[in-house]
Amino acid sequence: MTLLQVNDLYKEFGSTKAVAGISFEVRKGEVFGLLGPNGAGKSTTISMVSTLIPPTKGEIIFEGENIFRDPASLRHKLGVVPQDIALYPTLSGYENLSFWGSMYGLKGTALKKRIGEVAEIIGLNGRLKDRVDKYSGGMKRRINIGAALLHKPELLIMDEPTVGIDPQSRNHILDTVLELNRQGMTIIYTSHYMEEVEYLCSRICIMDQGKIIASGTQEELVELIKGQTQVSLKLDKMDREVLARLREIRGVAKAELLQDEISVTGENVDTALADIIAKVTEHGRRISSIDVKKPNLEAVFLHLTGKALRD
Amino acid sequence: MKVLSIIAKDLKTILSDKKALAIILVMPLVLMVILSSALRGTFISGGTGDTSKVNIAVVKQYDMIRDSQRFDETLGGGLLVQGMGKESAEELKAASGDVDPEKLFFEDFLGSDEVAKIIAYRVEQSDKAHDLLNSGEISAVVLLPENFVYDMKMNMLTPFRNRVDIRVLTHPDRSISGQVVQSVVEAYSDAMTSVIIGKNVLVEASMEYELTEDGFKGMKGAMDEITEIIKNIRTDVDNMEVQGRKQISSFDYYSVAMLTMFILFAAGHGGRMLLEEKDNMTYQRMIIAGTPRLGIMAGKFLTVFLIAILQIGIMIAFSRFALKVQWGDTKAVLLISISAAFAIAGIGSALAAATFRAGNYKMASIFETAVIQTMALLGGSFFPIDIMPSVFQKLSVISVNGVALKAYLKIMKGYGASEVMTHITVLTAIGALFALVSVLILREKGGLKDAQYNQVKALKA
Repeated sequence: MTLLQVNDLYKEFGSTKAVAGISFEVRKGEVFGLLGPNGAGKSTTISMVSTLIPPTKGEIIFEGENIFRDPASLRHKLGVVPQDIALYPTLSGYENLSFWGSMYGLKGTALKKRIGEVAEIIGLNGRLKDRVDKYSGGMKRRINIGAALLHKPELLIMDEPTVGIDPQSRNHILDTVLELNRQGMTIIYTSHYMEEVEYLCSRICIMDQGKIIASGTQEELVELIKGQTQVSLKLDKMDREVLARLREIRGVAKAELLQDEISVTGENVDTALADIIAKVTEHGRRISSIDVKKPNLEAVFLHLTGKALRD
Repeated sequence: MKVLSIIAKDLKTILSDKKALAIILVMPLVLMVILSSALRGTFISGGTGDTSKVNIAVVKQYDMIRDSQRFDETLGGGLLVQGMGKESAEELKAASGDVDPEKLFFEDFLGSDEVAKIIAYRVEQSDKAHDLLNSGEISAVVLLPENFVYDMKMNMLTPFRNRVDIRVLTHPDRSISGQVVQSVVEAYSDAMTSVIIGKNVLVEASMEYELTEDGFKGMKGAMDEITEIIKNIRTDVDNMEVQGRKQISSFDYYSVAMLTMFILFAAGHGGRMLLEEKDNMTYQRMIIAGTPRLGIMAGKFLTVFLIAILQIGIMIAFSRFALKVQWGDTKAVLLISISAAFAIAGIGSALAAATFRAGNYKMASIFETAVIQTMALLGGSFFPIDIMPSVFQKLSVISVNGVALKAYLKIMKGYGASEVMTHITVLTAIGALFALVSVLILREKGGLKDAQYNQVKALKA
């Protein structure tokens, strides 16, 4: 069942096209991923879906209603976790949750009870009395999520919720997302971390330069580069002439320099490892590391755009 | 409900911000004590920095003709004639026509080059002089008492000593100018003793009437006596005793001055609040939560209002108990405080809206660094307005702190609430006007769009 439908959505800021005609749907009960590098248009899309800014063109349908027809009536069904920590640092965690709960119309014992439940979900039960500016980065991220859960939204929109935190906190947040989804919450999750989207999302849209360049389930997306394997090499000294030698190998479709490593992709290039090593050695270079990557979203993005997600 | 939550949150945020608290609450208390103590000498106890001319009115409470006739009758009377001899009495009677206490006071004293540089006088009837004083057109009224001419002639030409009480009425709003007049009138008695005036008068008179050498010697002896007598001319400064108003001390003045100045910082603080919310994404989050923009704006307005009320309450309590300042009628002080806080809230809201719309803090910074200082200067928060050049005095009407300061001082001096209703109305109107401006700024085309979206942040993603 479709919960949210986005049709031919545009957003322009002057001459800049932040979002250029995207369409997708989010089904009830799923974790839907928006994957793309910084500047792809993910946050602009999120801002429109959360009713914060109107689109230049196109429509967003939530439960059969255009959300901009009467945004106020829909806002209590949406929970938004912004990319930035949208909290009051000099107030305690409890005071922050209490304030945001009151913004969603909660009060009295219902608010207190819900704060307790949310604190349980985000794992901050024992630290709510502390000021937010005394929290670690991960704790701030968790309370940032908690503020969006107080009113039990139908659709939770999370914009890069794990930026800049340690792996332990990230794992906690990812588990929280899965748990919320298990309890029936529909989630839109944006990230430029391929692993997170792979871990969480049942269906994914890959965005670049304001457009959706691919969408589907993870399996469907990987199918786009069926048989395409990627081998990454790090050499003692990077040399562009090596690239030409590598392209001579049978089955290699692409050999390119990506930051500090050489990426070799092609159909079953993992079977040509001996040839790759030989070509590099013949050229007088030594290999310091070699990594064979199975087809994944990173490879899909690379295949579709010619650049890495982190670029 | 949401507005109340916003206010509670904002107040908690401010109270947990030590820097903001230092500026809003601690600094004014410290400055209140320092300035009150340092500038104590410029108030009631004397001293002045006034360089402009002081306008005064002189009221003649005596009757020149009647006094002269009475003096002549006294000279012709038995007791005096017996004491000095009939011939001498006749000579003095003849000389008295040329001894003119009015001329001495108006021409030789007030009309002298030195005094004319400081004081401009006009002669008025008593009622008119009081009206001028009440309206602030003049700074003081000098009352030349009944029998002034008679008593002065008696003092100058006879061995008798009659008391002459010259009174100076000053307006409490112009206490420093009043001190100038007091000092100058006191100097009058010194000037009279300075032999030059007195001796010249007597010598001229004796020469004109060809007094004998003995008589001349006698006159010289009498001159010494007159010098002593004139020393007894008394000048009293009655601070509007006609209306029974209290005079303002430096502690009174600077308690009000710092209060009215530092509530402007609440407006400055409020001016940053909306854009800070936007920068922290909490504004957008409130919008997403369904909080109306006007609700957010109303929250900021009321927050600034409450901060100003808190400041006023603390400063009044501190000055009352630590500096023994008497603020006057409680209800009137409350009304002024509420209207002043309302004006500050309006200004803070308009500043918040403008800062929000501009997308940077320049406007709020300019307000805090330049506008507040200018308003403080014009409004009399640094120095009393009545010692400022007239241009500044005229400009003072544009300063909200100046309006509040005048109102508080009036109540302190003992005026009733009805006397400050104009000030209260002006402050309330300022608050309402600026609140309306803030709504218009946010409603202006593009304003809401800007308010909804932090473009920089969105494009970053």
